Amino acid sequence: MDENILEVRDLHYTYADGTQALKGVTLDIKRGQTTAILGGNGAGKSTLFLNLNGILKPLSGLVLLDGKPLDYSRSGLKELRRRVGIVFQDPDNQLFSASVYQDISFGVVNMKLPEEEVRRRVEEAMKRTGTLHLKDKPTHFLSFGQKKRVAIAGVLAMEPEVLVLDEPTAGLDPLGVSEIMKLLKEAQEEMGISVVLSTHDIDIVPLYCSYCYVMDGGQVVLRGTPKEVFSEAGKIRSVHLRLPRVGHLMEILKDKDDFEFTETAVTISEARKALKQWREAGARTRRVYRE
Amino acid sequence: MINIDNYAYLSKLKKTDPMQKLLFALLTLGVCLWANSIAISVLVLFIMGWVTVCRGGTPPALFMKLLLVPMSFLVIGVLTIAVNASDNPGVFIFSVYAAGTHIGVSLAGIHNAVRLFFKALGAVSCLYYLSLSTPMVDLLGALRRLKVPKLLVELMGLIYRFIFVLLETADTMHTAQDSRLGYSSLSSGYRSLGALASTLFIRAYKRSDELYTALEARGYDGELNVLEEPFNVRWTGYAAAVLVNLALILAALLMPQLTGGLL
Repeated sequence: MDENILEVRDLHYTYADGTQALKGVTLDIKRGQTTAILGGNGAGKSTLFLNLNGILKPLSGLVLLDGKPLDYSRSGLKELRRRVGIVFQDPDNQLFSASVYQDISFGVVNMKLPEEEVRRRVEEAMKRTGTLHLKDKPTHFLSFGQKKRVAIAGVLAMEPEVLVLDEPTAGLDPLGVSEIMKLLKEAQEEMGISVVLSTHDIDIVPLYCSYCYVMDGGQVVLRGTPKEVFSEAGKIRSVHLRLPRVGHLMEILKDKDDFEFTETAVTISEARKALKQWREAGARTRRVYRE
Repeated sequence: MINIDNYAYLSKLKKTDPMQKLLFALLTLGVCLWANSIAISVLVLFIMGWVTVCRGGTPPALFMKLLLVPMSFLVIGVLTIAVNASDNPGVFIFSVYAAGTHIGVSLAGIHNAVRLFFKALGAVSCLYYLSLSTPMVDLLGALRRLKVPKLLVELMGLIYRFIFVLLETADTMHTAQDSRLGYSSLSSGYRSLGALASTLFIRAYKRSDELYTALEARGYDGELNVLEEPFNVRWTGYAAAVLVNLALILAALLMPQLTGGLL
């Protein structure tokens, strides 16, 4: 089995109005991991996502699923959309039914599975997303966070291999953000799903993502583990992004207050470790000095 | 409209098979219209009121208030039937002479008017029973089972779902305009309202595009196929619906003999 579930090769996409949204994007999505796509507004993230499950067909370049180029025939697209699911940013654009249960069942019913299997998957997706108690509520009674969960359940029920989420945390309260991210992590670990997400919520990236790409102007400008990417502070800022708050604090401590750290820290636990190391190193020097 | 929908979700009859409720409401509606009798109409009104309030748990005040909704229209309609014109003042209980003819109210006219009034109210109560006990989603499911054309049911479902989104968007936009003094004078109010309407149209268009994309991503192939939650179908429910209506028909047939044709 290939290490990469999705590979994007030199992808170009231009909209009908002439906007060049993607100008040669190349990236790999690793199997069974969470990959973040970062970038300011209009960097081309959403266009990239729509290319990943064949909603948009690239002008040139390739998208490979499991090593095979996407098949844009009718049956090929059907298969593709079963394997690569997209959760859109605004759940109101995705939930078409006034019934939560019916909406979640839509994608699975389209897969032409037997009814018991559809019911099992819908129930399971509702349990996984914590929406079981919303079953009898109409969609328009739900809060934004609840709608988001239902939208995720609707795609999870299809049991895709790749789950693509456009800004899954936008508009949620802090608790909502961590709950959604935990839910995605669980789905990824228990169902073996590969997750791709775009976000402006920089602080969650080092916590939940194992790899990230930074896009700007339709191109990938930076790639690596969150630690690697966030050590390029200047480049990150030049594309309208920022460091995680903790990373920013550590940067200031290092540059302005003469703290000495051996490696970059971008999460609370990493910063804690680095600060403890610094304290111990300091204690050692003081001891040496006294003796 | 939105309120009725909320109450439907709260009704204790929500879990009942929607097909059964639909059958009951439509059968009774049919009988009420066919019987054309004051007594039957009043009976229907009470039966529907009882089922909705006592079995469904809808607040009685709400049911009464809803019955008042068609009242103004009903009163005007009924008055035009009660008041007649004739050359012979003898047929009227009360009349005035105007424009070369007698205009007044006759006993038959009053009878007709009262009959029509209760018939309309009884019929409306059947529909209130249905809409206060059955959420739209369940009703659409029942229509689907009755083989109503798919396109129609899908369209109804989408309209129902997005009416709320549209209203919410319009409301937000109105608030945003209002907070920038968009409705401070009559002329600016008209201007703001025009802008709101056109923007709303563009938004709706854009949203439909995005909805289509999202549906496509989940394998949409021209039909909105979904799985419905099963209802407990009990034949006793259907039997009750039929029996009540048979009783009503019987009563309607016997009524003229018992009351001498007055009711």
